[in-house]
Formats: sequence, structure tokens, C-alpha cells
Amino acid sequence: MIKIDSKTNLEIWSEELTKIYGKKKEAVAAVSKIDLRMKPGIHGFLGPNGAGKTTTINMLVGAISITEGAAKIREKKAGTVAAKQLIGFLPQDPVFYEDMTGEKYLIYMGQLGGLQKKEARLKAQQLLDFFDLFKARNREIGTYSGGMKQKVGIAASLIHDPKVLILDEPTANLDPMGRADVVQKIKELSKRVSVFVSSHILSEIEQMCEDVTMIDNGKIVISDSISNIKRSFISNLYFLDTNMNETLVDQLKDKDFISKAWCDDLDGKIHIIPEDADKLRDLLPQMLLENKAKLYEFHRPELSLQDIFMEIMMKERGNN
Amino acid sequence: MNNNKGNTERKIKSSSKKLNSNVLQPVKSWLSRNIFNRTAIIIKKTFQDVFSFKKTIIILILGVIVPLIFILLPTSIDFGLISPSHAATIIGFALIFPAFFWTLGLVFTIIIGTSGAPLIAEEVKSGTMLLLVSKPISRIKIFIGKYIAVYLYGMLLSFFSIFVIGWLGVFVKSGNIDHFFSLIPFLTALYIYSLFILFLFTSITMAFSSIFKKARSASILIIFIAILSYIAFLLIRTLTGPFYATFQLYHFDLGYHLGNVFILFIETLNAVPPSISWQTTFAIITGVYSMESSIDPDQNINLGGLEKTNYYLPVVSLLLWILIAALLLVFGMWSLKKREISV
Repeated sequence: MIKIDSKTNLEIWSEELTKIYGKKKEAVAAVSKIDLRMKPGIHGFLGPNGAGKTTTINMLVGAISITEGAAKIREKKAGTVAAKQLIGFLPQDPVFYEDMTGEKYLIYMGQLGGLQKKEARLKAQQLLDFFDLFKARNREIGTYSGGMKQKVGIAASLIHDPKVLILDEPTANLDPMGRADVVQKIKELSKRVSVFVSSHILSEIEQMCEDVTMIDNGKIVISDSISNIKRSFISNLYFLDTNMNETLVDQLKDKDFISKAWCDDLDGKIHIIPEDADKLRDLLPQMLLENKAKLYEFHRPELSLQDIFMEIMMKERGNN
Repeated sequence: MNNNKGNTERKIKSSSKKLNSNVLQPVKSWLSRNIFNRTAIIIKKTFQDVFSFKKTIIILILGVIVPLIFILLPTSIDFGLISPSHAATIIGFALIFPAFFWTLGLVFTIIIGTSGAPLIAEEVKSGTMLLLVSKPISRIKIFIGKYIAVYLYGMLLSFFSIFVIGWLGVFVKSGNIDHFFSLIPFLTALYIYSLFILFLFTSITMAFSSIFKKARSASILIIFIAILSYIAFLLIRTLTGPFYATFQLYHFDLGYHLGNVFILFIETLNAVPPSISWQTTFAIITGVYSMESSIDPDQNINLGGLEKTNYYLPVVSLLLWILIAALLLVFGMWSLKKREISV
């Protein structure tokens, strides 16, 4: 986890952010003591469905109250008008005024963001152009496709020139083309505004983000840059695949230079975390010969964020 | 001399320009950006949502239909032979009850309730409120914006309803435009009363809209309150007889208080003179009058109307319900401020 003591230069900061629903015996913590440290740039917020991502985001944008702890957007208390002036927000499954045209909706949102009507119209047209919606600007939002709606939602979040965009599952419910389009636009936007984006589609987060925070059951399980996370995982994990995985895994478990070895349920291969990788490489040919085993595969995998996420989640849930 | 004058004018102009650009412009800009603009935007959008020409025409027809029946009841008076003020009195007699009970009563309160109830509850339920509250505008401004829009719509509705029933009264009864001008004090009393009832029912509606999850539940409760006020307490008053006064049930009788305030405006503006004919109806429907004739105790002369029950001073009824409406307004704002908004 990134430890930054100073709140300055942080786009989003939270300390022990907690949301509890219900009272006394029926109390359930949807989010528990989350410490967020978001630096300028693009930050992914990951977690399975029901992990507490939306609840956390709703606290950051002031839609729901904070039970305990505190959160700030660029040093402004989350939920205040001053903090909301700094953020642009796209909720998960946004709902629009379907009978308004795209342009009128953006002008309305711009005026609520403090723009004069002329400024709002100009800004709306620029954004409609950026999001390839200019031709559809006079159509009612109700007639837009899912991708168009999502883009008009992001445009609405940008209309008052916020400093931090908070996007909750912006690609959920989109087809592959729509997803790629929205991801591309977010990447372009991240050059001029910081983006805090939640998703459970990890491949997209991997494409977009430098830093990520993963949560599960309302708690942070890891928060670091993607490169650091990958480095720490790749250095330890080896995949071995033979025709005698069951026999070999038992032998590996007994070796003092192996910290962990198991047969993975998903791919059936032996996953090995050695304490001394050189010893493993030296010993392996001898083990294969002694057991007369056929070697199919032995390598250090390039783990995707998805793999790491799965490993972490399984470990967390195993511990719990 | 002229040159000096020109210089002075230029100086004044330049200093006024400076004042405008240095002081007033930023103030205007700040006010426009922070105070008026965002609330005004909410008012405009909400008004557009609430107002529809077709709906307004239907409401006007509905509001006018019962007064029209009262107007159409035959009278033996020849309007060609009487003075405009006398004609206005006769028309006022015909309109006073249906205007109170129907146009500004059941129809008006139910329309305000059903128009205003979805404005917060439905937006929260559908999810549009989530986007709204994430914008840099306080929830109190959102509430006030929606509140004012409903109030303005109500003002518009009551203005046209009152204008139409006044005009219909004159047109059907006498057909003389001069009689309409004599009716203005009565119509003004109705309009001022409508502003009061609008304040009360907009506050009730918006408070319910802030706390209820379903707009339908809020609407049903408002319709229930309207029916309770105008019809249920009439039955309670009739059925309980003397117990109504003994057990001081009038404290909870909104119909009585509304009638009391209505009569206050009618009396203050000398809108319709006292008469047993219309006061009897108010005695039965609101309990503001007793069934005894009003007698001057000093001279023992019949004053031409019914004695008031005087459970409450009319001004106290007015202030009490203005206070309740104001408290509901604050409660509504507070409820929205504290409301958890998520889809």
C-alpha cells in the first residue's frame, strides 16, 4: 500500500472511511476503514460485485453520508459544494432525463455546475464533438444507444471543468465496441484531468491505469501501482506442468526451499512459490528423471491483473 | 464652461464604469453564478416538467365545473335592474362556497399534491437525483428550486381558475362587464387565500416527496389529507354534535382552520357581505359559523348573518398554519439534505 502522510497533492484522500447500514444488531459494514490515496493521473478501483466500490464512490460524491472516518477531494471535505465543484461524476447505470436532447441535457448540467448559458452551450458542443455525438445533439437521450448514453454521461460529468473525474463502472453493460470506445475516450481525458475509475473488468483497468486499489468485502486488499503489484507477484510464482502433477506437488511441498506449492484448480498446473528459485531450477531435472515424468511446461508467467486479483481474492477469502 | 461640464460628465461616466466593472460586475457575476443561477435553473426545469398545456386546461375545466353548476342555478333577480355592486354580491353568494370547497379546495390541493409528490421521490427512485446531487449545488437549493416551481405553477393555476370562474359568473348571470370589476375584491380575496393554501399544501407535498420512497405513497397521503380536511371532518363534526366543542376536536380540524382563514380574507376585503344563505353552508362544511343569527348585543339588532363559533381567532388560525407550513418546508429541506441517495 502506498503510504503518503501528507494530504497535499492528492486528488482523493480518505482515512478510515466507513459506511454502516442498519443499527445495532442488524448493522452491516458495506465499507470498512478504507484509506484512499489517489495521486494525479488515472487510478483504478477494483473489486468484485458487492465489494463496496459504489458505496465508497457514493460517499466521495456526497450522495450518501459517511458513517465514520473522513474523505477529501483536493483537501475539500467530500460532499460539500466546494468538493463537488472539483469532481465530475458518472454513476453506475446512469439515468438521464430521457425526453431531453443531448445538448439540452449538457447545457442544463453545465448551468448547474455554475456556467452561464452561453458558456454551457459552447462547452456542450465541444464535448459533443469530442465524444462523436455532435450529429445526435438534437435527439432525445431516450433514443441513444447504451454507448452514446455512457458518453453523454461522461460529457455531463466534464461540463463544469472538474479536476477529478469519478467514473463508476463506465463500461458495464456495453458491447465490446462500445467498451473500447469509452476506454479510449477515458485514456484521452486522463491527459487533462485525473480519473478515478471503478470496474470489475480488470483488463480494461490494466489498459488505462497506473495505480490501482483493490477492495473486497468493503476492505482494501491492496493499493499500489500496477507495475509494482506485477513485479511482486511475478518474482515469486512459477508454473510447472507434467504428466505427474499430483506426485510432484507432494514432493515439492516437502522441500525446504519451497514456501508454497499447489495444484491449481483452474488450470490443473503446479503453482510454485519458491524461497530459492535457483535451487528449484537445479533440482527440477533430477526430480523429473527420478519420477520418469514428462515435462510439458515450466516457466515464470507474465501475470495479468486478473490473475493477480484472483490470487489475492482467493488468499483473502481463504484467510477469512 | 461647456468644456468643464463635458469633463465632469466624462469623469462621472468613467467613475460609474469603474464602479460597474470593479465592484458591481463581480458582485453581479457572483450572485448570478452562485445564488440565482443554479436555483433558477432548477425552477425552470421543474416548471417545464410540471407544466403541460393540455393538463392545465383539463385542470381548469375540472376546477371550474362545480362553480359553473352553482352559477347556472336559476335566480329571480333581473341583473339589468340592479347596481354593479349588488350584482357582484349575488354572484359572490353563488361562487363563495364552490370556490372554497372545490376550486381552491379539493381540486387545487389534490393537483398540487399529485404534481409535486414525484418531484423528489421519483427522481431519487429513478436515479436522476444521483446525478443532480453530485453537481456543485446544495441539496437545499435543489429543494427550494423545486418548491418554488410548484408554487409558481399553483399561482398560475389559481389565477386562471379564479379569473375564469369570476368571468363565467358575470357572463352567465348578467353579461355586463362592469359587474366583473365590482367582483374584483371577491376575486382578490380568493387569490390571497389561494396563496395561503398553496403555501400549506406545497410544503406538505414537498416534505412528503422528500421523505417517501414512492411518489405514489406521497400522493395518496396528500389526497387523504385533502379529503380528511374537506369531507371527513364534516362528517365527524355532524356525528359528534356537541362533543366536537366539548372535546375541542377543532384543534385537529384542518377544514375548520381553512374555513376560518378563508372567511378572514373575505371579511377583511369586504368581498361578500354576511348572509345566512352562504354562511349556513360554511357552518355545515367548516364549522366556522354556528347556526345562530348574529345579533348586536348592545342594540339587539340582527346583523344579517350567522354567529361565528370562534374556536380560534381567524388570525391565530392563519399564523398557526403558516407556521406549520414553514416548519414543513424546513423539515422537507432537512430530509432531502439527510437523504441517502443511491440507485
